Amino acid sequence: MSNNKTQTIEMREALRQALDEEMARDKRVFIMGEEVGEYNGAYKVTKGLLDKWGPMRVLDTPISEGGFAGLGIGAAMTGLRPVVEFMSWNFSFVAADQLIQNAAKIYYMSGGRFSVPIVFRGPNGAAAQVSCQHSHCVEALYSNLPGFIVIAPSNPYDAKGLLKSAIRDNNPVLFLENELDYGMKMEIPLEEYLVPIGKGNIVQEGKDLTLISHGRMVNVCKETAKVAAQKGISIEIIDLRTIKPLDLPLILQSVKKTHRCLIVEEGHFFAGIASEIGFQIMQNGFDFLDAPIARVCQRETPLPYSKFLEAETLPNVQRILLAIEKTLL
Amino acid sequence: MERKKQEYNYTFFSPFPEKNPRQIAEKVVEKAGKEKILEALRKMLLIRNFELRAESAYQHGKIGGFFHSYYGEEAIQTSLITAIGEEHWFTGFYRCHALALLLGNTPNELMAELYGKENGNAKGRGGSMHLYGKQLLGGFAIVGGQLPIAIGSAFTIKYLNEKDKIAVCFLGEGAVAQGMFHEALNLASLWELPCLFVIENNKWGMGTHVSRAIAKEPIAMSQAPSYDMKGYTLDGMDFFNCYAGFSHIYEEILRSKKPILVECICARFRGHSISDPAFYRTKEELGASMERDPINLLFTTLQELGLINAERFNEMNNIEKQKMIEAMHFADTSPWPSPATLEEGVFAP
Repeated sequence: MSNNKTQTIEMREALRQALDEEMARDKRVFIMGEEVGEYNGAYKVTKGLLDKWGPMRVLDTPISEGGFAGLGIGAAMTGLRPVVEFMSWNFSFVAADQLIQNAAKIYYMSGGRFSVPIVFRGPNGAAAQVSCQHSHCVEALYSNLPGFIVIAPSNPYDAKGLLKSAIRDNNPVLFLENELDYGMKMEIPLEEYLVPIGKGNIVQEGKDLTLISHGRMVNVCKETAKVAAQKGISIEIIDLRTIKPLDLPLILQSVKKTHRCLIVEEGHFFAGIASEIGFQIMQNGFDFLDAPIARVCQRETPLPYSKFLEAETLPNVQRILLAIEKTLL
Repeated sequence: MERKKQEYNYTFFSPFPEKNPRQIAEKVVEKAGKEKILEALRKMLLIRNFELRAESAYQHGKIGGFFHSYYGEEAIQTSLITAIGEEHWFTGFYRCHALALLLGNTPNELMAELYGKENGNAKGRGGSMHLYGKQLLGGFAIVGGQLPIAIGSAFTIKYLNEKDKIAVCFLGEGAVAQGMFHEALNLASLWELPCLFVIENNKWGMGTHVSRAIAKEPIAMSQAPSYDMKGYTLDGMDFFNCYAGFSHIYEEILRSKKPILVECICARFRGHSISDPAFYRTKEELGASMERDPINLLFTTLQELGLINAERFNEMNNIEKQKMIEAMHFADTSPWPSPATLEEGVFAP
């Protein structure tokens, strides 16, 4: 029974619906994190869920990321399906031992005896002038570890469908949102849908260059592509949606067509997602390329407070455009 | 920073008014039944023989990596599981061979794991510090990292409203200095999670004496009140004191629905790990500890009560020893994991 009814909602509401629907579907799903309950979420993603589901399924935690991240992992090992919110992914670093040593490794380390079906979610990367300790992009760090699924949606449709898939997955999933995107509106279906993990998306087709990105930077890429189009440059944009496992076939198919590739990453250059994707393209699609692969990433500094410096270090339309033009020379 | 080693003089908890150890032993035997206590003695011999055999296999190059022996601490986990049963969630740390044996895993599969074989407890992927069981969430090898996992299992018990079930978390006294200890206790108490934390205080965090690592002793009795919990100190060398204490504490957790912190004072008869010659500890100190060997203490008392004789004890010991020799043979002749399987099982289906 399919219908075409739609709703126009913000990203935070799309995420809230995903949580609510999965909590209705499976009694083992519960939410835990700082301010997720009585405060209704630092960014209102969990608004109303405490009232609806009660304090055993929506738990306000103390400021104790290592403790509650580990508690979630233990609960996941013993049959529950926790969704743990980090108010910022930057706070996950104090829980890094739990994530890295336990969540990522237990399934393999136990020879398959215990799985860890858990989702860690929250805003990742820079927001608006939140400075050095609240702006880090964590995807490159965590993607280096076998055992994690890493997802970074760029719009409300994908966010909802991917979060539902993440909650149903039997592995630890790191779900990276962005504070600046929570208010992003989009028309999405009213009826239930899923977006599969591990599948990228061609946001727009083009013939001159493949522009690959994830998360908030996809939208910066879309803006850039509009400017490029005015200059007669046809850009194909790939939204990774899932960083790990990487949808390499989609990337190769596109690069085979455009022969040129630019990767845009909000995080840093060194050992980043762009480096990895670039290497995999080189390894598997070297013959498709007519120009060296290029990348635009955050400069190699902690992210500074001043808005002028912040704008300078993050990938922006100007820097991306410059890189496109250089690659097309 | 200079801080001198000091010995603390512990007072042990007992739920019984009697002060005479023999009277306490009689009470425990009466309560638990003779068979159960003799079975506990057998399990302690199983653990002792496993550790001694595995140690010799290590010295013959059959086992690699880190190897932490439970030799000398057998009374603690054996008494606890004898007292409360196996149908709980258990979380251990890197010294986890005994826990895996006590929770129903065979010496064969555990020895095969130590040998790194395909049919090992964790398919040769975990090794000595990462053993698992139906109710055993693992040996965890980062000090203190197991505490939040344990309270997570306690959370599941509460969430599913499972009666008579608790989570048990073992840790060494060294873990008390870790942040995770305090975060886990705070959360467990705050949310009234049915968790029993057992500090096995063998006095040495590798080569650092407890008095040079932890600001205040006795640990459990000092730390527990900060988290609105009860704390107990037990004699980890005395099976009967532990059994009586754990039985009492288990009932108290079920009744109060609150977590409890227990400290068992014990001694390890080996170094921190197999590669540690333990030069920091004097021969006299080790000798004094070994005079209170938990197996001898238990055997002697049972002998005094007329429940076992030396002949039966030796027979029991020989059977366990034989099992371990068989386990070594099993492990030795088991296949290596195929390199083709290396990348399998990173993700759950």
